Amino acid sequence: MNITRKFNIFALLLPLALLLAPNQAWALQVHAPPEGIYIHQLAHLFFAAALSYLFWDVRRSAFPGKGWRYLQIFCVLMILWNILAFSGHWLGFHIDNADIIRSDGYFSSHIIGPISAIKFIYFCATLDHLLSVPALLFLFLCMRSLYRSIDKEEKK
Amino acid sequence: MTYLPLSPAIITDMIGSLCIIVLSFLALRYAWLLIRKQPENFLWGFLFYFCLTLATFAISRATGHLLKHILLFSGNQEAWRIINPISGGANTLFMISLASVTIYYHKGIEGYQAINRKAKSLKEAYDQLEIAADQLQGMNLHLEEMVEERTLELSASEKKFRNLFNNSKDMVFFSDATNHLLTMNNAGFEMLGYPVEGPPDLNLVDIFKNEDELESYHNVLRSQGFIEDLEVEFAKMDGTGISVLLSATATYDENNKFSGCDAIVKDLTRIKTMMAQLAASEKMASVGQMAAGVAHEINTPLGVILGYAQLMMDDFSPESEPGQNLAIIERQTKACRKIVADLLKFSRQSESAREDVSINEILMDVIAVTQHSLNMDHINVHQDFTQDLPPVVGDTERLRQVFVNLVNNAHHAMEQQGSGDLTMISRYDSTTNEVVATVQDTGHGIPEKIRARIFDPFFTTKSVGKGTGLGLSVSYGIIQDHGGRIEVESPVTNKQSGEKAQGTAFHIKLPAVLAEAASVRE
Ligand SMILES: Nc1ncnc2c1ncn2[C@@H]1O[C@H](COP(=O)(O)OP(=O)(O)OP(=O)(O)O)[C@@H](O)[C@H]1O
Ligand SMILES: [Mg+2]
Repeated sequence: MNITRKFNIFALLLPLALLLAPNQAWALQVHAPPEGIYIHQLAHLFFAAALSYLFWDVRRSAFPGKGWRYLQIFCVLMILWNILAFSGHWLGFHIDNADIIRSDGYFSSHIIGPISAIKFIYFCATLDHLLSVPALLFLFLCMRSLYRSIDKEEKK
Repeated sequence: MTYLPLSPAIITDMIGSLCIIVLSFLALRYAWLLIRKQPENFLWGFLFYFCLTLATFAISRATGHLLKHILLFSGNQEAWRIINPISGGANTLFMISLASVTIYYHKGIEGYQAINRKAKSLKEAYDQLEIAADQLQGMNLHLEEMVEERTLELSASEKKFRNLFNNSKDMVFFSDATNHLLTMNNAGFEMLGYPVEGPPDLNLVDIFKNEDELESYHNVLRSQGFIEDLEVEFAKMDGTGISVLLSATATYDENNKFSGCDAIVKDLTRIKTMMAQLAASEKMASVGQMAAGVAHEINTPLGVILGYAQLMMDDFSPESEPGQNLAIIERQTKACRKIVADLLKFSRQSESAREDVSINEILMDVIAVTQHSLNMDHINVHQDFTQDLPPVVGDTERLRQVFVNLVNNAHHAMEQQGSGDLTMISRYDSTTNEVVATVQDTGHGIPEKIRARIFDPFFTTKSVGKGTGLGLSVSYGIIQDHGGRIEVESPVTNKQSGEKAQGTAFHIKLPAVLAEAASVRE
């Protein structure tokens, strides 16, 4: 992991390091296995809520320019991504590990039939980049257009 | 299809992860540029932190995914089992951070916007102030131009009114409350005969001939505020009077106190003479009509009287008493006929010949006819003729009649004295293009008070029978008929010495025919 730029990131790494040695009883409360995925799912919800708030606020502020519209699109796509990821994780519980065959090599792994709705949605959830990449593309467009607009303004 | 292959998911995941890293860094780069450009803008600060956290999250997640694929692909399932929770935990952590940044920073925006609004309104106020300052400066600059422009306009208007004042043919003056003359135009000084160069300091008392007129002028002006067409007499520099028409407006100072007047004065001399001439010619015309009627009626009985008198004269010898009486009747009747003929001539002014006439010739004729009787009364006749006199257009007979009348009057005026000089002068006045013939005597002259009446029909100072008072009025009519003028001068002023001598001079002025015009006519 090369996230080393900000000191607060370092600060966050410390409890991570502690997690590497779960056998030692550092904490009073025991964090049993499903807790991680629960927190992760809650984080998705939190993130989606934050994005909704941002979306609503940008819309309410009615800033002029293309950049802010791109940011709104980014928000919508990211919210959708959150929902998809959330569903993917959630369905992960309900899929039998036996339904995914990895025996023929990692690259040839597949979900065996018959294809149920759960299996299909799970499959779709694995393609979450189809949402997150366009979302980030719009974020990039947003930043660029904002930068260009103030650049143009200054040149005037 | 009986199964769903996961290979597309793996490929998408790997490519997508790479894309995510690249895109998040590109976005971060622009966010970085934004805060560099406008470090004071809170929005950019927020976006930068947002992008930074997002990039952290994206890298964490993408590298995790890539690592997973690589490890699983290479069969290192065990390694992945250890790393998987660490990577997942990190992802969760960064996602929560990202959500927090989103909410926390976005809250700050509101504060920032409030500050921004304040700053904006401050800036607007400042801009307005700047505009006002600019305008003020512009106005300052403009003021000078405006003053200059106004001054020019003012001087143009002043010039216009000054021209009106200076070039007016009428007198214009301004006086103050003490009747002192403040300003008067040149026409005014000329009218009063004062020198235009270095005119004297005048008061209204000096220019009003009669004091009571000045007083009434003053009273009307003060009570009414203006005076319209007041006829008064002004005194010229040499003391003589001049009749004028005066219009004036009173002026008041800021306390509404009478401060003087502006006045326009018209010279009435010309109008007065014109009116007199008009009245005279009207009188002539009406008398002429009456005379013609009377003459015609009287002519017939006179013919009968003359006829019978001559008839009876044949019966008596001229030496006998009745014969002598009849001779008197005949003579007096003839005199009557002459008067009647004169009257008819007077009235029949239009029926006359129109030819080129030499005044010199007429004067010589008249002298030839009258010289004998003049000499009898010891009156010397002098002639002072200008040779090459241009001719005048008219009736020789009637013009001769005029001069005979004048010579007769002169004769009568000198008769009593037993001696005298009669001078006949002819000259040409090139300025008015007139031939002037003068009959001048050294007789008793014409007193001032009757001078205005000598041209009236039947006005005479002579005893009944001697004069009818028609001579001058007939002459006047004839001369006027010729487009000329007749002027009387008594006593006579000598042209050279300027001395005044006893006697009378009648000047007959007739329009001359120019040499070219005369030759064209022939
Ligand atoms: N040369 C003169 N000198 C002095 N007085 C004159 C002279 N000419 C005219 N008068 C005065 O003018 C008056 C009018 O003259 P006017 O010739 O019209 O009439 P008259 O001589 O009296 O009569 P008439 O000429 O009809 O016989 C005269 O009565 C006389 O008083
Ligand atoms: Mg006479």
